[in-house]
Amino acid sequence: MLNLPRWQTIGIITVTVLAVLFALPNLLPSSVLDHMPGWYAQSRMNLGLDLRGGAHFLLEADLRSLMTERLTNLSDSVRSELRKQQVAFKDVNVEGGRNVVITLRDEAQRSKALEAIRAVDPTIAISGSGDLIRLAYSDQEVTKKKKEVIDQSIEILRRRVDETGTIEPTIVRQGDERILLQVPGIKDTTDLKRKINQTAKLTFHLVNEDVAATGQNIPASLPATTSLVPTREGMQELRRTNPKAWEDIQSANPRMTPEQICRRFQPQCLPVLKRVVVGGEDLDDSKATFEQQQGGRPIISFTFNSAGGRSFCNATRTNIGKRLAIQLDGEIISAPVVQSAICGGSGIITGSFTTQQTQEQALLLRSGALPATLSIIQESTVGADLGADAIRSGTTAALVGTAMVALFMFIAYGPLFGGFANLAMLVNLLLVIAGMSILGASLTLPGIAGLVLTVGMSVDSNVLIYERVREEKALGRSAFSSIATGYERAMSAIIDANLTALIAGVLLFGFGSGPIRGFATALTLGLLTHLFTATVFTRMLLSTWVRWRRPTEIVI
Amino acid sequence: MLWKPLHLVPAGTKFDFLGKRRFALIASTAVNIISLLAVFFIGLNFGIDFKGGIAIQVRAKEGPANLDNLRSVVGGLGVGEVSLQEFGDPTTALIRIQRQDGGPQCVAGAQRIMQARAGEGWQVKPGAAETGDVEFTAPRPLDGANWRDAVSRVGLTILDRQLPRGNTQTAKVEMPPEQRAEWCQQVAIKLVEDAIEAKYDLRGTESVGPKIGDELMHGGILAALATMAAIVIYVWVRYEWQFGVGALIAMLHDLISTLGIFVLFQLDFSLTALAAVLTIAGYSINDKVVIFDRVRENMRRYKKMGLIELLNFSINEALARTLMTSVTVFVAVLSLVLFAGPVLYSFSVAMLWGIVVGTYSSIWIACAGLVYMNLRPEQFRNEDEKAEKAKA
Repeated sequence: MLNLPRWQTIGIITVTVLAVLFALPNLLPSSVLDHMPGWYAQSRMNLGLDLRGGAHFLLEADLRSLMTERLTNLSDSVRSELRKQQVAFKDVNVEGGRNVVITLRDEAQRSKALEAIRAVDPTIAISGSGDLIRLAYSDQEVTKKKKEVIDQSIEILRRRVDETGTIEPTIVRQGDERILLQVPGIKDTTDLKRKINQTAKLTFHLVNEDVAATGQNIPASLPATTSLVPTREGMQELRRTNPKAWEDIQSANPRMTPEQICRRFQPQCLPVLKRVVVGGEDLDDSKATFEQQQGGRPIISFTFNSAGGRSFCNATRTNIGKRLAIQLDGEIISAPVVQSAICGGSGIITGSFTTQQTQEQALLLRSGALPATLSIIQESTVGADLGADAIRSGTTAALVGTAMVALFMFIAYGPLFGGFANLAMLVNLLLVIAGMSILGASLTLPGIAGLVLTVGMSVDSNVLIYERVREEKALGRSAFSSIATGYERAMSAIIDANLTALIAGVLLFGFGSGPIRGFATALTLGLLTHLFTATVFTRMLLSTWVRWRRPTEIVI
Repeated sequence: MLWKPLHLVPAGTKFDFLGKRRFALIASTAVNIISLLAVFFIGLNFGIDFKGGIAIQVRAKEGPANLDNLRSVVGGLGVGEVSLQEFGDPTTALIRIQRQDGGPQCVAGAQRIMQARAGEGWQVKPGAAETGDVEFTAPRPLDGANWRDAVSRVGLTILDRQLPRGNTQTAKVEMPPEQRAEWCQQVAIKLVEDAIEAKYDLRGTESVGPKIGDELMHGGILAALATMAAIVIYVWVRYEWQFGVGALIAMLHDLISTLGIFVLFQLDFSLTALAAVLTIAGYSINDKVVIFDRVRENMRRYKKMGLIELLNFSINEALARTLMTSVTVFVAVLSLVLFAGPVLYSFSVAMLWGIVVGTYSSIWIACAGLVYMNLRPEQFRNEDEKAEKAKA
């Protein structure tokens, strides 16, 4: 009854050895890990922010006012298109943050009006009758736009947070309108919080080619219409070669203007006309794509709204052959040459780009588009020393707890059976740690509590078995028979007891957030692995021992 | 053999547990009523997870933290109710600030922050009533980049169309009142930072805005209900109804008295505490299930035994296991109470109580309940006979 087929024994031993291997990188001191291959030494559990130190922000995007803003843009475009098509109207209004309502003077012009509206935005849903036309983004469209806005905000955040040189921020979408931002190891969050609230500012300017033709990077004097703006490459170069200057620029209050930066630190700069050709808020979209002809080079395509398209058309028509500087947050991200008049609202930027470059450029262009403002609705900042304290106290509690439980089992069931139970407990602990490492789960302080609890509960099945064995022995059964029957009879109670605890663990995982999830993960994994150690691992220990020693009497 | 195993419960122990059931019943009822009254009239000390609010952990740069001084400094910032406590050791203090409602005081605070962080002369005023708008006035003409930079220092974003036009230096940042309340949490944090920075290091900050606070509260209630429902269903499917009802009453008894402990010691009822409570629910049932397994087994084996005698017999048989498991979990959790630090203190204390009361209630609530619900061994006899007939 107790005996296991050989293949099962081999399986159990394999699992145990693997558990040890996967758990070890978490337990060895760093001096030992330094001598091991990197991929192995680094395959450890992630530490949660509460242990590692760092900042956690839950941000909410204000999509409502953003939608109102978009509708206002739409109503502007519609108004000008109607005028252009000579459709007389009384009124074009944004209503309730969801609709644009148009009142026509003459019902007869309805079909002409609808045509004009479709020309502005072919996807818009149109309703109403008579002289009344109601425009609304379809639910699908709203969802799509919301998703775009959140993606865009994530990109803006990523760019801004990475700029500080912080390590591996996690920026992910949470639900429909939220973003989770986690930055491990950050000391001062003041700067980070400011970055959350700064939107990207994108503008298009013509390059003053007369000044540029002089070939001087920083001309001593400039016409009043022109100012100097550093290029993105120039700033990146400056940051590499002169980090001190970079820091000065970041911390200056009031902010340095692009021209001041150019004059003081002399990075690569371009003279651009101050007049804004068109602003990022008029840019509807920008994508990395490929040219249709000529071997499909990677290019960047962009689309303006009607107002933007018109200004862009005017500017490009009269300035063919000149460069158009695209300025983002006081840096020129690119300055393509105007090849032809770009009218109709959309155009492309060509050049010898790699796909990666076009993607980056398109992203930079997009990040200047109309932003959603972000509010911090939840914050948790843990200083590194607080995290270190938490690790220290958590480790102490875990070690003392495990030692106490082990001691108790030794006292209660003697060195042999107590030893078996403690071995099973240890293997269980290793399995949980290995499981968390493999799943990439984060260990939090409540997670450590979950581990300690797992230790306390995991000896329970050995207790159940041993108490049964004692009873069977008291009934006068032989050593072998009392172990076998005791084991068998305890099994139903073991499974029942674990299932109820599992229910609580799984639900906690489902509903919990953050640190609680860490607790639930540790507890649930602990209970699952415990089913393995309780049912098969302990059985293997007992059967191996019985077969080896063939005891006539057991001391338990 | 190095040493002899210790039998916590000597073999053949025959303690008359259920003989004491009336006394236990009175005591338990009293404890539960008191707990419920305490929860309703004194109230749980909800943590900021549920209530919303701010908790800032600070450590004095020199010597012990001066709580009185901190209280008067932070209390004078106009951020509402402030409470302070020593946290872990005398150099460290935990400052708790109530959830911000976004009132005019917060805008006044924002002006102080602007003056300290963006420059002298900034003015901040609330916009039109019923909106959450905030108006900023710059001390001198500024360009868009500097406006954005300045306003970001107080935690807001200014859009291009909101920038001042013409000759004015005043710009309005628009937002609904709810959003202003969220922003005011950040204002309060910044005010505290500016006020105590010179003497204290900020070790950690937690802020839960009104919106998230409400959501976590709902989530918590849902989690608690779902856990209990799942356990009810499990026990219902697995056992005769008397067992199910007995286990449930015992579980409720454990949970209610745990809440009583939270009120009695004014422990922080946070998300982690809720996790503890739900774990207690699981653990409590676990303990009952093991004893019930025994009771069922014995009912089949000793069909002639009276119910009380049989229950006593089963409890005594399972006693060693019940005690051993309780003791091992107890020592594990005890080490959490002693060493895991202030963050987990509420959690650990609640767990500790849960283990003790769970063990007690297995015997005196769950099993005693079976007596009152008239569980009769005959039921099993009939069922077994039916089963045998079916086989034949």
